[in-house]
Amino acid sequence: MSEKKIKNIFVEGPIAPDFISTSISKHSTKTNIGGHSIFLGQVRADEIDGKLVSAIDYTAFEDVALKQMDEIREAVFAKYPLTCMHVYQSLGLVKAGEICLFVFTSSAHRKPAIDACEEVVERLKAELPIWGKEVFEDGTHQWKENK
Amino acid sequence: MEIELISFGRISEFIPNQKIQINGIETTSGLQNYLEKTFPQLAGMKYKLALNKNLVQQESEIRNGDSIAIMPPFSGG
Repeated sequence: MSEKKIKNIFVEGPIAPDFISTSISKHSTKTNIGGHSIFLGQVRADEIDGKLVSAIDYTAFEDVALKQMDEIREAVFAKYPLTCMHVYQSLGLVKAGEICLFVFTSSAHRKPAIDACEEVVERLKAELPIWGKEVFEDGTHQWKENK
Repeated sequence: MEIELISFGRISEFIPNQKIQINGIETTSGLQNYLEKTFPQLAGMKYKLALNKNLVQQESEIRNGDSIAIMPPFSGG
């Protein structure tokens, strides 16, 4: 068996809305698709002890995260009849209001696309070694915890 | 023997990446005890280890030259 290439999911900085729309338009030739499901994570300006989060600085244990994502991808493709799946996660600084996660699944019918999208988001947050440092306006920080 | 420590997230603020000499420690749980004694802040925290870029799910043997990653709970997305 040949070694397959592990897909990269990491993007330096925020995910641009243009990138998202281009990604959508690339699917117009895949006419067997009947439904897309998209999740976009956006950095929230949480107020903690009177201070506003101005950005999240993401780091990852990249090799391990990509290997783990590859396993999730395989499992989700085995479970749902998907046409395709795209996952992008920011690294580095993403300001409040900007997009930090983009998960995009497509299928012949809506249900598998919606369910697969949700499952990928949940598993990515729980299983990928990625850390968000919430940076406040005054330069101090705290480490994000996923709920 | 010498092993390499790599740390992430909040743990990287008190355990910098470094090479350490350890003697008489042969397993991941032995290393965990050693780390929690050497870096008391770690003892009260939730964390996972990765041995040579594989998540440690069960007790594993440690060999000279191994790399150990110390990882707090994940918070991607």
